[in-house]
Amino acid sequence: MNKVLSIENLTVAVGSKRLVDQVSFDIPQGKIVALAGGSGSGKTTIGLSILRLIPSALRIKQGNIIFEGKNLLDLSAEDMRQLRGARIGMVFQEPLSTFDPLFTIGQQMDEVLVAHTRLSKQERYKKILETLSEVELSDPSRAYKSFPHQLSGGMRQRAMVAQAIVGGPSLIIADEPTSSLDVTLQVKIMELFVRLKNKNMSILLIAHDLGMIAQVADEVIILSQGEMVEKGPVSQVINQPRHEYTKQLVGAFQ
Amino acid sequence: MTKRINSSSRTQLAFTSFRRNRVGFFCLWVLMILYGLAIFADFICPYSYQDEDRSFSYCPPTAVEILDQGHWVHPFVYARALTFDSLHRRIYVIDHAQKYPIHFLKNGRLFTVDAPGRFYLWGADARGRDLFSRIWYGARISLSIGLLGVAISFILGLLIGGIAGYYGGWIDSVLMRFCEMFMMVPGFYLMLALRAAVPENFNSVQVYLSVVVILALIGWASLARIIRGMALSLRERDYVLAAKTLGVSDIAIIFKHILPQTISFSCATLMLTVSSYILAEAGLSVVGLGVQDPIPSWGNLLSDAMAIVPVIFAPWILLPGLFIFIAVMCFNIVGDALRDAFDPMFKES
Repeated sequence: MNKVLSIENLTVAVGSKRLVDQVSFDIPQGKIVALAGGSGSGKTTIGLSILRLIPSALRIKQGNIIFEGKNLLDLSAEDMRQLRGARIGMVFQEPLSTFDPLFTIGQQMDEVLVAHTRLSKQERYKKILETLSEVELSDPSRAYKSFPHQLSGGMRQRAMVAQAIVGGPSLIIADEPTSSLDVTLQVKIMELFVRLKNKNMSILLIAHDLGMIAQVADEVIILSQGEMVEKGPVSQVINQPRHEYTKQLVGAFQ
Repeated sequence: MTKRINSSSRTQLAFTSFRRNRVGFFCLWVLMILYGLAIFADFICPYSYQDEDRSFSYCPPTAVEILDQGHWVHPFVYARALTFDSLHRRIYVIDHAQKYPIHFLKNGRLFTVDAPGRFYLWGADARGRDLFSRIWYGARISLSIGLLGVAISFILGLLIGGIAGYYGGWIDSVLMRFCEMFMMVPGFYLMLALRAAVPENFNSVQVYLSVVVILALIGWASLARIIRGMALSLRERDYVLAAKTLGVSDIAIIFKHILPQTISFSCATLMLTVSSYILAEAGLSVVGLGVQDPIPSWGNLLSDAMAIVPVIFAPWILLPGLFIFIAVMCFNIVGDALRDAFDPMFKES
């Protein structure tokens, strides 16, 4: 199977303390791979390591992050910037704080296209409206003109997804994308991710909700305190957990 | 379809709040009038700034007469003649036989009298130049020098503060040490030192520009430090990280997501800084290092009032000081009002 991303022996440390320890996994094309684990297990750090945006106190000690055949850890800062948003998109937990309150949704999506493409103003506008309707925002031209606080939480999260995919990435890193939403909206957003997956996009889903993971992910990796304790197809990991920590985690959701 | 939420942009909210501040709004009007008079000085003033008549040295303000033997007439002024009293003091004797009508809108001037009559609305200076005219021509220099200086120091301050705060690390250290080099010298002495570095044979435009640059060089450092502090905190915002994950370049992030957040502070500081620049220009000119006579500025007009004798016999030469006071007060009050208007925590009592 075609791998989009493969992480090999990734170790991230602050000082001598290892936050992520020897983690390896692959993300096949067109699949949703979930990273699960409790707070402080290193899920988000792995997500940000892929984009090389971990806080400056943290260091990637060893390992490789191979994306589309290139080791991201070897790229120059400028090559890395061009990759972000264009090849890899990221969705965050709280869209209200990840949109700049001073600019409209459209202006902020436009920034991505300005950074990565040479499209004309008209073409960019058209592309943004297409993307906004792709994430099923009922009135794309209105959403374009809205400031973040003018949209509801669910709409805002859709706009966030739209912003992540507008540059046409092949991999989306979604960091707890539904944690700030109520249950019905969570389902809607997850359906959106499944639809993106069906369009051959690969998704790294960072979440702690095993119930949700069981519904949408293809594979799951269980992390505990920076170490990978278990990985495999979702049904296998959840139905026959082998590791003690996985059993606890699965138990907590039943 | 959800209902459209009715909301105003931050600027609109700030403007509404600003308008409710009566004093601030009034001062903004005063400033606009001052700038208007300065811009239209050619039209408003009866004389050019260097039109002199030495026989009217320190001529007191001319009274405008509208009654002639109990009848309303077209406004006119009486002629005056200079004589000296027994103590050799200048005395202007009004000659009731000779009248000069005031012409309105003649020769492209708002009001004027025919020569050899002279019309000194606010008195004359030592060389018989009209103080009213010189004040409004001087306003062009004094009021524009502050704005230009502020514009330059703001561009410098925002750029350097933004870059230092956003990148941090050694870039921050280098830029901030550079700032401190400017901050450690007391402002006025730095100004004198920089002025000394300007060649003496500069013409008036070059002097004007060099004063602008000197003012800008003094002011940018403290602003850069404050903006740097704000940028240090703003760069930790989630939307800055989000913009990075989308591959937005650092410069775009600084200009779109860091600096606009400092607008409320910048706007207020901008106004407050203009007033300090007007004062600084006046200070330079009073000690004779600013714009040179015959070109007037409020500062060098006031330098005529440095000696006590002219002030006693011709107190109107202090008028430029009043205008410096008005302009500085208004900029300060407008600056405060703007800061309050942009501050979401500020509640009117």
